[in-house]
Amino acid sequence: MKRLATYLFVSIALGAPAIAVAQVQDTLPARPFVRGGVYDRPYLTRLLGRTVVGGYLEFHARLQRVDGANEDSGFEAKRWNIFTATEVSDFVRVSAELEFEEGGEEVTLEFAAIDFRIAPTFTIRGGMLLSPIGRFNLAHDSPLNEFTDRPLVSTEILGTALSEPGIGVLGLFPVGSGGRITYQVYAVNGFHAGLIEDSPDGTRIPLGRGNVEDNNASPAIVGRLAWSPSLNFELGISAHHGAYNVFEGDGLRVDERRDLTIGVVDLEAALAGFRLTGEAALANIDVPATLRDIFASKQQGLYVEVLRDFGQAWVATLPASFFSVGVRLDIVDMNADRPGDNTRQVTLGINFRPTEDTAFKLDYLRGTGRDVFNNPADHAGILFSIATYF
Amino acid sequence: MERSYRWGVCIPVVLVAVTACDFLLTGPPDDGDLFDAPIPGLTTGELAAFVRGDEGFGRRFSPAEGLGPIFNQAACADCHSGDGRGRPEQALTRISIGSDLALALGGPQIQDKAIPGAQPEVVPDGVDISVRLPPPVFGTGLIEAIPVASIVANADEFDADGDGISGRPNWVLPADFVPADEPGGGTGLQLGRFSRKAQVSSLLEQISAAYHQDMGITSDFLPVENRNPQAGGATAAADPAPDPEIDAATVRAVVDYVRMLAPPAPGDDTPQRLRGSELFTQIGCESCHVREFQTGPSSVAALANQRVVLYSDLLLHDMGDELADNRPDGDATGREWKTLPLWGLRVAREFLNGDLFLMHDGRATTISQAIELHGGEAATARNAFLALSADDREALLEFVRSR
Ligand code: HEC
Ligand code: HEC
Repeated sequence: MKRLATYLFVSIALGAPAIAVAQVQDTLPARPFVRGGVYDRPYLTRLLGRTVVGGYLEFHARLQRVDGANEDSGFEAKRWNIFTATEVSDFVRVSAELEFEEGGEEVTLEFAAIDFRIAPTFTIRGGMLLSPIGRFNLAHDSPLNEFTDRPLVSTEILGTALSEPGIGVLGLFPVGSGGRITYQVYAVNGFHAGLIEDSPDGTRIPLGRGNVEDNNASPAIVGRLAWSPSLNFELGISAHHGAYNVFEGDGLRVDERRDLTIGVVDLEAALAGFRLTGEAALANIDVPATLRDIFASKQQGLYVEVLRDFGQAWVATLPASFFSVGVRLDIVDMNADRPGDNTRQVTLGINFRPTEDTAFKLDYLRGTGRDVFNNPADHAGILFSIATYF
Repeated sequence: MERSYRWGVCIPVVLVAVTACDFLLTGPPDDGDLFDAPIPGLTTGELAAFVRGDEGFGRRFSPAEGLGPIFNQAACADCHSGDGRGRPEQALTRISIGSDLALALGGPQIQDKAIPGAQPEVVPDGVDISVRLPPPVFGTGLIEAIPVASIVANADEFDADGDGISGRPNWVLPADFVPADEPGGGTGLQLGRFSRKAQVSSLLEQISAAYHQDMGITSDFLPVENRNPQAGGATAAADPAPDPEIDAATVRAVVDYVRMLAPPAPGDDTPQRLRGSELFTQIGCESCHVREFQTGPSSVAALANQRVVLYSDLLLHDMGDELADNRPDGDATGREWKTLPLWGLRVAREFLNGDLFLMHDGRATTISQAIELHGGEAATARNAFLALSADDREALLEFVRSR
């Protein structure tokens, strides 16, 4: 009897909060606990069900050598990125991506933008933007890539993922039957002088990223124009231009204005079962004359990859599964002012996808890098990785 | 039986796997072909220190980390390619007016690069100029461990033996920060061994000065930033890093690393090279390029009591008008240079993308050009070289090339 009483008491005690919550929800939004507080946000009170959360996860195992000496080998919890997207209204959309890189060592808000859709040809976008500098910077999710590593031109020269605070417009125009032209153009904070001052290895554009508060109150312009006559072909051109250094202070000219200009051409095509993707970039950096030779005023690079899917449902228990093979060529010249300081490499890859959203990737890469003396050193690596959307 | 069978299978499998691994993932070059291999016989503790110092030697500094304000290059390894010699693009310009180091004009060394906001130095008018190619840094620990008496024994300042060759030591005063128990340290004049006029007595001083002068990196040893006296005070922008930018331990790690670098192995003896070796002695090259020394005691056991086959007396010689820079350095006159060790020449081109630069400023690009440039005390040996038959000349060159 006593036991039963205890049991009833405990159940009521535990059940009480549930009842209480139900009562609170009934009265929502009459009087929130804190107006505008954590339980008084529109995604709970008005947009319920309209915010979706997703993301991707990526893990690497690497074995790499340079002239016989092990380098950068081991396991990496490479990325765990989380996305949200909300249809706020018929005109307004918000989406964001938060990146946790290298086991959480780097946490960055990669993207967080508001789109105000006025017409298909004209949307205003503002926030933390993914810079439209080449197609790869716009679509670089690891489960999408067929290789473990991103192309060198993207990581070394363009600094993918490059995102910057800014505002601008985007849209698309239909052309012919099924074809279209898309455009995006934004004013952004641009790069800061870290691309020289924080870099021990000569000019490194990625080190000028993260200009969250504009260093020089002089916006940069970035834009991309892409022509796609059909689903099987797209050609894009993009550019990024602006001053990266502080050249004015207290209204006075305190230094020369130094610009960084990047141009990129990208291409994507499908033909006879093969997929071809490529991108070429050229960067011009105004380097102070006193640092010439050591800091490059010109960098260039390209990648081309060819892929083919095969083995659809070869694994009988996984009818949606398939394999892909691919080869990629990477060339980057980190200092095109003089010989040396460049890398060429070829990557062979084979992937298995149990479904389209998950990839098991095995890559073999081999190449030659040249140091500042133009002396060659061979490098090679075996990389295995898993990446999946969720 | 079964056991040996297993081994019989295992060994080939392992061998194939290892070679396949090298084949797939790149293989290391032979130790004897490297400029950055450690001397044999180091303890694991010394090897760990070697690896730490290697990082320091390769480390480049960014302006934010302290590079500059005025400097020449951003890392030791950016001048000493693979720990070997550099190219003329990395050569340093030293200036002075007679024995005055011209400090107020930017001496003793011109820093031709500057971080944003600072102004690099330019060579002023009316000074003595000396251009210096970065020399190899391997083998310097062995050089440091050769007893003073052994080196001085070859000196013949007033040419008492009448052979026209008068090797002279460069006696120099060590910098204040070099402790007395450091090799090359101590009170009073010490024997100079390092740099192209043997004007530096210790690796510690050489390397602290390299950080300070060549890279604009201040250390516990030289904590005050080097500035450009040619620029006005207000415009002498500094780098943002607080001084000293590196501590004594970091400098010491690089000193230990350089100290433990082995010279590369010479090529195999062939009949032609053996003939060349005989000629090297016969025509008098060896009067300056003294074949070998024996090291004395050293804090690194593997450096103590070792044979050092370096082909140098480490002394100063008057090399004639053509090579003279007319800029004194320590006790060395404007016509004198330290005899260069002949080692690492066999693989030197591999570290200069196929090129070769010889002599103090890199003006010779082949061994025979280097010999033809020998004048002054070396004129007799040079003439003897030029008088050799074509075969003998080739044998001598082949011998030198294979060192
Ligand atoms: C700007 C190019 C440059 C940089 C950077 C540089 N060096 Fe040197 N190094 C030289 C030159 C040139 C000499 C010869 C100097 C002379 O003869 O006056 C030299 C000489 C030396 C020597 C003496 C070698 C011998 O056998 O006489 C050592 C050891 C050395 N450097 C080590 C270093 C270390 C360690 C660093 C980095 C902390 C470094 N150097 C940075 C150019 C450079
Ligand atoms: C009088 C002393 C003397 C004699 C004799 C002499 N040398 Fe030299 N040698 C030097 C000096 C000093 C240098 C460095 C010159 C400089 O720095 O410009 C040098 C440099 C060299 C170099 C260039 C090394 C380098 O790394 O840049 C070679 C090669 C060479 N000698 C070979 C020879 C040969 C072969 C002979 C015999 C024919 C010879 N030398 C005779 C003193 C001598």
